[in-house]
Amino acid sequence: MVGKTIVITSGKGGVGKSTATANIGAALAMEGKRVAVVDMDIGLRNLDVILGLENRIVFTVVDAVKGKCRINQAAIRDRRIENLYLIPASQSDNKDVLKPAEMENFCNRMRKEFDFILMDCPAGIERGFENAVAGADEAVVVCTPEVSSIRDADRIIGLLYSRSITPKLVVNRIVPEMVERGDMLSHEDVVEVLSIDLLGLVPMDDQVVISTNTGNPLVAQKGSLAGEAFWRIAMRLNGQKDLPIQAPKVKTGFWGKIGLKLIGRS
Amino acid sequence: MLNSLFQKFLGKGKSKDVAKKRLQFALIYDQMEVSEDILQNLQRDVVEVISRYFVIDEESLQLEIKRDKNVSALVVNTPIIRSMRSKPCSA
Repeated sequence: MVGKTIVITSGKGGVGKSTATANIGAALAMEGKRVAVVDMDIGLRNLDVILGLENRIVFTVVDAVKGKCRINQAAIRDRRIENLYLIPASQSDNKDVLKPAEMENFCNRMRKEFDFILMDCPAGIERGFENAVAGADEAVVVCTPEVSSIRDADRIIGLLYSRSITPKLVVNRIVPEMVERGDMLSHEDVVEVLSIDLLGLVPMDDQVVISTNTGNPLVAQKGSLAGEAFWRIAMRLNGQKDLPIQAPKVKTGFWGKIGLKLIGRS
Repeated sequence: MLNSLFQKFLGKGKSKDVAKKRLQFALIYDQMEVSEDILQNLQRDVVEVISRYFVIDEESLQLEIKRDKNVSALVVNTPIIRSMRSKPCSA
């Protein structure tokens, strides 16, 4: 098995990297791929709670990288989604305990065991970023349609280019109503400013918070707009290049319009 | 809808256009910021190239990036001691 390592990064915190990692990972696993999602946010782990696996941590990525345990001891198997494994971050260490060279070695070992290794990168551009990127074959940059997030994404894109990685962009938390009235940058604007290839567009969706509350990935449930968007992103990463990128639309059905009027959004 | 009509009457632009313009300027400035390492490497290379044609005082060479509102310039300032005309360049 020769797997692919993909780092999910953003520069700015709180734009949805971990949510994206969890959902893309779950979707790929549901397609039958052997997937490991790796929480690289050493000291501030969160991917475990998003996936509902927080009670099952024994070993962490630090143990696995340092050779204190085998990869299959650190990888927690998701009991609901077959083929999905989480390698959690350690909560007691800091980012400096790992070195980029060790991470390259770790990724080489991981490629032998998994089809996809998704690295959930911490915010920032320091050692945590360097570690998460060290062994990556590809990169996904997540941003929201906001000035601060886009600016940080631009910085991250530059740093990835200098490592000969050409990242792809996911624009998260798009509110189509705001885009329509000109109060939010459209995905075309974001792509133009960053001049980068698009991988997917994810609408703002209350279901994201609900799914994190319960620890069930969105893609495993039906009927969530964000979940469907993450699913399509995963399929594109899985090689379905012809899958069209759908821009989130304003709800325009009869009941949808009434709904919008009622909550005062029109 | 009503909101955007009001905005048109009041002559107020869309906030996303403001965001886009501000971002484009910010990114240009961000990308122009050069680290001290790069600047030192550049200075070393510039000295090397100029030295093929002129004898210069390497110590007093000044290299800086000047920014104005609309344009940026790389300014290299060096006193020339003499030209290398008599000796062909050996590159």
